[in-house]
Amino acid sequence: MTSTATVLEAPTHVPALPLVTVRDLRVAYDAHVVLDGVDLDVRAGETVALLGSSGSGKSTLMKSLTGFAPIARGTVRVAGHDLSDLPRGGLRALRSDVGQVFQQFHLIPRLSVLTNVLTGALHEAGAINVAGGFSRTHRVRAMQLLDRVGIAHKAKEPARSLSGGQQQRVAIARALMQQPRVILADEPVASLDPRLAGSVLRLLRQIATEDGIPVLVSLHVLPLALEHADRVVGLRHGRVLVDSPVAQADARALAALYEEQDDAHDHDL
Amino acid sequence: MTTTSDAPARRTAPPPLPPEERARLARAFSVPRTRFLVGLPLAAAVLLWSMGGAEFNFVKLGEGSVNMAEFLSRLFPPDFSKLGIIVELLVETLQMAIVGTVLGAVLSLLVAFAAASNIAPRWLYYPARWAMNVIRSVPDLVFALMFVSAVGLGPFAGILAMTLGSLGSIGKVFAEAMEAVDRGPIVAMQAVGASRRQVVQYGVLPQAAPLLVSYTLLLFEGNVRGATILGLVGAGGIGLELTTAMRMYDYGHLSAITICIIVLVTVIDQGSALIRRRIT
Repeated sequence: MTSTATVLEAPTHVPALPLVTVRDLRVAYDAHVVLDGVDLDVRAGETVALLGSSGSGKSTLMKSLTGFAPIARGTVRVAGHDLSDLPRGGLRALRSDVGQVFQQFHLIPRLSVLTNVLTGALHEAGAINVAGGFSRTHRVRAMQLLDRVGIAHKAKEPARSLSGGQQQRVAIARALMQQPRVILADEPVASLDPRLAGSVLRLLRQIATEDGIPVLVSLHVLPLALEHADRVVGLRHGRVLVDSPVAQADARALAALYEEQDDAHDHDL
Repeated sequence: MTTTSDAPARRTAPPPLPPEERARLARAFSVPRTRFLVGLPLAAAVLLWSMGGAEFNFVKLGEGSVNMAEFLSRLFPPDFSKLGIIVELLVETLQMAIVGTVLGAVLSLLVAFAAASNIAPRWLYYPARWAMNVIRSVPDLVFALMFVSAVGLGPFAGILAMTLGSLGSIGKVFAEAMEAVDRGPIVAMQAVGASRRQVVQYGVLPQAAPLLVSYTLLLFEGNVRGATILGLVGAGGIGLELTTAMRMYDYGHLSAITICIIVLVTVIDQGSALIRRRIT
């Protein structure tokens, strides 16, 4: 493990190890409460799908796990980092332990696929790395990861020349380059067609099962979640309404996540 | 639950507009917009006012065309007998432009970091913008005179003037090029735990690079032309030779110099167009 963070969980109890622990989380932007009383556990090796309609708080929950959203109350622990009590420089250490995948891929279009993957290792690159060179070890690792996501043959091409599905695979390779302890994927397939969406989600789940890295993925397509996740967590108006293994998921409870409701717009949470 | 009563209305689709309201909205787009009708005469009035002030006169131009032809005829034939001197001075002009552009671009980049709102903190942003505005409003010739009196006649003064002038002219566009980059990759760089410098290095600069190079090439072209003017105040380059030729009524030499400048500027234009095509 490259992480310098305090590892609080002993690696011996891997099966029960929650790498993401959220308790009674409240996130508010001024008077607008986005999340309230949210509890969440994500354990090693599992793929958890985060569901909910637009504005339910999915993205905000994702952001709050990496310090991109203000925590008003509650505790958030991710990969051994306590977000409410981060030491100086702790945010960067936390973020380097969490691989993130975005809906719009967020690659640097002009740069090569390989360079894009290498940027995942920036937190390991020293201050002397001004000229932009990466070590041989990093380059070898990046090529291995590109091979794993099936894009190795495009390593030298600019990222913008790739299709959406390929770009998302590169973004996943970049996240893996961090040697993350947790992967967060915020709507990773919302810009992709169904076939590509399936293949990207399969890849994420494969990473979770083979590497033991838990994947928290927010989705807005229910069938995709049921097919590709181990567990579904449903948010509505900033609260967790559903949290169950896919096999035991209650179809009515899931449908209720997307129901139109009279008081939907200004719940004063 | 503050507004439970009107909530159902907001949840359902809005009621269809009455026909007269729809017709009114449609009509609003059938006539030219008011701001266009008002704006055009206003712009014309400003133009006429400016022409009056600047003594712009078509009749005078027509009457003077004979003199213009006479002046142009004196430029022919160009006299290339002093080609050696011309080439030597043109090379000096080019060298001045290269040094001035490189120094100017590097300085501009540094100041642009301070003047880009997505990189710099507020307390740095405003002074940087303000300084660039001040520099931009001072004519390059004034800088040239200032540096001539500081370091004496010669190209060095010209280079210093050019550097400062460059900072004023492209510092701001550099900053704006960096502000215009897509935020996504920046977020991604922050998300991998990159430092501020790394975010700029990998998230901002690669995205802004084509524009930065493009502006630098434009600056270089401008500086080559500008260097011919700086010579007027003795700040090196071919400008001094050009003024001397004019003062001595040596029109053959003058036209030879002009032709050589045109050739140089054209070659540089073509070269930078080639580079620009390859980087964008």
